Amino acid sequence: MATSMAAAIAASLPAPTAATPSSVKPTYDAIPASMSKVIDIQAEIPITSVQLDAMVVSKIIKHGRESAFGTGTLLGLDFDGTVEVSNCFSLPAFPEEEDKAAKAVAQANYQRKVIGHLREVQGDENAVGFYQTTTVPLRQSLVDLQAADNARLRQGGILVVHDPSQASRGIASFRAYRLTPQFMSAYKQKKFATQSLIEHRLTFSSIFEELPIRIHTSALASAFLSMVSKPSSPTTLQSYAARSMTTLARPYSSLPPDFSHLDLGLPSAVTRNLEQVVEGLDSYRTEENNVAYLTRQIAREKTRADAYVTTRKEENARRIAQGLSPLPEEDVSRLFKIPPEPSRLESMLLLGQIDASAKNLEEATGTGLVRIYAAQDP
Amino acid sequence: MSLGASSSAVHINAPGAQRLPVAVRLDATAVFTILDHHLRKRDNQKRVIGTLMGIRTESDVQVRSAFAVLHSETADQVAIDEEYFQNMLEVTQKVQTREQIVGWYSTGSELNNFSALFQNYYAQQTGPHQAIHLLVDTGDRTKEFGIKAYLGSPMGVSAKPDNCVFVPVPVTLRQADGERPGLNLLRTASEEPNHTTPVLTDLQNLERSLLDVISMIDRVQNYVQSVIDGDIQGDPAIGRFLLDTLNTTTEGLEKGKLESLFNIHVQDTLMVSYLANLVRSQAEVSSRLTLVT
Repeated sequence: MATSMAAAIAASLPAPTAATPSSVKPTYDAIPASMSKVIDIQAEIPITSVQLDAMVVSKIIKHGRESAFGTGTLLGLDFDGTVEVSNCFSLPAFPEEEDKAAKAVAQANYQRKVIGHLREVQGDENAVGFYQTTTVPLRQSLVDLQAADNARLRQGGILVVHDPSQASRGIASFRAYRLTPQFMSAYKQKKFATQSLIEHRLTFSSIFEELPIRIHTSALASAFLSMVSKPSSPTTLQSYAARSMTTLARPYSSLPPDFSHLDLGLPSAVTRNLEQVVEGLDSYRTEENNVAYLTRQIAREKTRADAYVTTRKEENARRIAQGLSPLPEEDVSRLFKIPPEPSRLESMLLLGQIDASAKNLEEATGTGLVRIYAAQDP
Repeated sequence: MSLGASSSAVHINAPGAQRLPVAVRLDATAVFTILDHHLRKRDNQKRVIGTLMGIRTESDVQVRSAFAVLHSETADQVAIDEEYFQNMLEVTQKVQTREQIVGWYSTGSELNNFSALFQNYYAQQTGPHQAIHLLVDTGDRTKEFGIKAYLGSPMGVSAKPDNCVFVPVPVTLRQADGERPGLNLLRTASEEPNHTTPVLTDLQNLERSLLDVISMIDRVQNYVQSVIDGDIQGDPAIGRFLLDTLNTTTEGLEKGKLESLFNIHVQDTLMVSYLANLVRSQAEVSSRLTLVT
């Protein structure tokens, strides 16, 4: 009951975006009792959904069109379990060669600068997460980025992934994720060996949890959209042209309806998707080989160490039998460098990547089947 | 050719100008940014202004994005926060390296002599090209949403910065291929009662499209029926168009060919779907096995 009440209040209120201008001293009013359920200062209400504003959707799509792996910051508020993302800005692509620390510093500086500027025009100033435009759903860099800011952001922040390649199938693909607590605790310890994976019950599907996304358009944006999609009356010239020719003039609306979903062929999208799966499998195979090699290395070193210990023990036993003082039992770990167990993070991420690509493929083929049976003559 | 309210766009070759853009093509992103800025204006602000970023081509100006600019406006003077403007420009150009300043926007419905001053200021920023001015009327007073674009042209014998003739230029909505699905999604959201929608799945999208087509066929049927009944006068252009559409059939293909093509396609799709399933279950098994050891 409390949640539904809270939701009702949340719906009836304008988004609380009142940023106090820097010149005026902020005054803190007591939160009214009716609102205390929905405004959580301590970030106690768990995030259950994400809401994207029209501007955010449009900006992310634009960024996705311009660069293959675009990253940016999401700004907004969390309110009654919903993260309302009301603005975003793209981060410049810092050259890859730069060392990671310098890159992170440059990125943070840029972020602070832009947020400062946005504050001056009453924009939102709370970073709530990141967005990434990518065709590959799970990537190491993505996880690193998200995990690095996990502590700074309220409730760990969210991640919105947009896949621009889906646009060719007529889909605007947006997904929201957040890192799971299990993953974060493993990440903090920087341990991704098998034992740690078992302890945290980590598989690729438990790195991120997906959050449902809703798209919201402000009243003004709705007015704009309805204006551009409304068919306008043809001009005199156009109607004369239509009368004298065999073809009708094009639809007079600025945003005509789109029927790309009904396109039957679309082999390119499926082919690309299939290629992605195969590529993923290839790199997974390479990674598995690496892990197997390292495991063999560990096993070999271990056998050698064991063999050394046994010979030393046997020798000692012999020496004691002969009445000699035994040789000291040396620390084996200092004599033999047993390499640490390889991190399984990379292979886990690759598996996740393969799974996500295969899922996309499954969806595409599923719809493809429906489509072609629908087109078949009855 | 304005978006929304009609305007009479004329083209005048202003003396001394380099080359005049003949059309303004506007990205939806820029519009959303402007509208958001307008929503966030302070109570005592009459309008908000900002900078338009975009790309100039041979024939038109593409407005790709926009950012807000601080300004103050009183009864007898205006000021732009120049420092803010330069800072914002710097951070924007770090990300959008290809985009330049092409002009400025303002919300509201009127062009006044302050507009002329702003136009003069932006003309210095965009020189030697002309600055364009985008007037976004949010319908507060005129009750009609509309976007108009203008070029500034000096007026009078001796040009003064606060004198300016705003010459309308046609403005159209530009949409790249990759943007269509997104705009459709937003349109779906805007049509809902509370302006919110979940992201649609592939199948839901397909269903919507099919329903759209069905309703269109219904409309055409109604139209044809009422023409046959003599209720309304038939339009020959529509008649010819319908005839053309009905003539596009698959009869050109051999009888069995279509069926075999169909079967091949279905088999391919099933094969890929099977493969995808297989890969997914293998991946799942593999990740579980890691945990078992």
